[in-house]
Amino acid sequence: MATSGNKNMNAKLVLLGDVGAGKSSLVLRFVKGQFIEFQESTIGAAFFSQTVAVNDATVKFEIWDTAGQERYHSLAPMYYRGAAAAIIVYDITNQASFDRAKKWVQELQAQGNPNMVMALAGNKADLIDARKVAAEVIPLGTKLKYSSSNQDMSKIVVQDRKPEAQTYAEENGLFFMETSAKTALNVNDVFSEIAKRLPRLQPAQNPSGMVLMDRPAQTPATASCCS
Amino acid sequence: MYGIQSRKDLAFEYHPQIQILRPSIHARRANITVKFQDLYGFTVEGNVDDVNVLNEVREKVREQGRVWWALEASKGANWYLQTQATSTLKTSLKLSALVNGITLKKLIRKGIPPVLRPKVWFSLSGAAKKKSTVPESYYQDLTMAVEDRVTPATKQIDHDLPRTFPGHPWLDTPEGHAALRRVLVAYSFRDSDVGYCQGLNYVAALLLLVMKTEEDAFWMLSVLLENVLVSDCYTNNLSGCHVEQRVFKDLLTKKCPRLAAHLDSLEFDVSLVCTEWFLCLFSKSVPSETTLRVWDVLFYEGAKVLFHVALAIFKMNEEELLIAHHIGDVISIIQRSTHHLFDPDELLTVAFDKVGFMTTTTISKQRKKQEPAVMAELDQRSRRLNSVNPDEKR
Repeated sequence: MATSGNKNMNAKLVLLGDVGAGKSSLVLRFVKGQFIEFQESTIGAAFFSQTVAVNDATVKFEIWDTAGQERYHSLAPMYYRGAAAAIIVYDITNQASFDRAKKWVQELQAQGNPNMVMALAGNKADLIDARKVAAEVIPLGTKLKYSSSNQDMSKIVVQDRKPEAQTYAEENGLFFMETSAKTALNVNDVFSEIAKRLPRLQPAQNPSGMVLMDRPAQTPATASCCS
Repeated sequence: MYGIQSRKDLAFEYHPQIQILRPSIHARRANITVKFQDLYGFTVEGNVDDVNVLNEVREKVREQGRVWWALEASKGANWYLQTQATSTLKTSLKLSALVNGITLKKLIRKGIPPVLRPKVWFSLSGAAKKKSTVPESYYQDLTMAVEDRVTPATKQIDHDLPRTFPGHPWLDTPEGHAALRRVLVAYSFRDSDVGYCQGLNYVAALLLLVMKTEEDAFWMLSVLLENVLVSDCYTNNLSGCHVEQRVFKDLLTKKCPRLAAHLDSLEFDVSLVCTEWFLCLFSKSVPSETTLRVWDVLFYEGAKVLFHVALAIFKMNEEELLIAHHIGDVISIIQRSTHHLFDPDELLTVAFDKVGFMTTTTISKQRKKQEPAVMAELDQRSRRLNSVNPDEKR
């Protein structure tokens, strides 16, 4: 990518999804390691940044957490323009939010950066566990220890909507994870997975590209004289 | 027993003497961030300088109070209403009214004392006049009629109630939620084009804190959306807001050309930060007393005030922004600055003295100029999205 050869790069990332899906909660968990039951509703969008280490490099995410209400969607292009990555969030207890997520995917496919790394996040994974499946499999109130590759969790999830979301994600070139901002399940994993998938080299014909660089003005020069 | 409290004062009372948690000497030395309550009961975080600034602001508020009371004593209560009467009756322009008008404009820019705010806002904004055109029981009737109705708007409102200034000692209580709900729900039925738009929750919440009664807060919200702000700011695709953003970009280029060019070179779209300012009228970005000082002027001079204030925020940080090379840095400079704007005079002096003169007429012309482009852009976007959908049925 623009910063090829460098160990650090900046990447613009946008979160999109239905109102109340938990976009801001995911960001708060990722950036500050916190969870607040009632997050202030986001107006327009809120900006955060957080750095992730991948192998021997770091990716500094510049995160735009957007407002979910339908009428705010007319503002979305401003936030996904030039984004290197997107997380499309839905609430696993809300079918309408999954339908909305698909629309976001379509919009990004049509209008977004062609090389954008897209993740589909089925958030509130803790709720389905408590409400539907866990009542039989895991007694209510049991403290679950989540890790990125928790086998039990993926089994639980498979019984509900994971197949649909998983299949959809595969068909559309996204990667899929169920997350819980509340329990921290898979939250860091979504971001590090994105970081791993970011293209390391920026297409020469697209200097303003998907990834924000340290010194935008110098990029074309670097690209031409070093090749 | 309908829970309507429009006639009765709300439980949250303005306490001009709210105690600040005094930072210890230790905290002072280390310049540690302290938490304290501001003039309207919001818990804010700041450093020792911020606490000192806020104490000065309290003192200035008291001084302003004395100025207003002295004027009432010499010119009579409600003297400021006479300035309005003449502006509609151009033929009988009395000199005293003109003098009062000039005095009032200056005075309002220096701030309306919090105790007088409900009364002065209500008359000067046009809310009183709006209310007088309908039967006395309008608000009660409306809230009672729509109490049990469920619409997309009411669902969204219910979702947002606990997410509106969470932690505020009155707003974030069952009573506060219920009052805010009634105001927002009532408005959603008054204007179904607006219904409910996220952002209005913050605006209405602050109006409740200032006006003290639900009914007055409701009328302030009505006059704000129907007369003060540009139309369609909050309707289906926020077209009015898009227009304001474009006008703002032009103004920034005119008033701060170097900065505008610099931000352009970073591919920083100022709407990234300004959209929230214009939709929440700064209530989510700057400390409460500063927001309300902006609203003092907004209700008297109109929506152009928002441009003045937004330009001022950029102007105040111009030097620092010019040496920023990342979008992230630009945003954090602006956020840090707005978060610490505890001194309203600092902001408003820049907004009106340094930003310079702008007339409502020029701004209206700018809006007219931008409208077709905004409509075309929104239309193009919706057509593009609709053309994407057929692919869905595979």
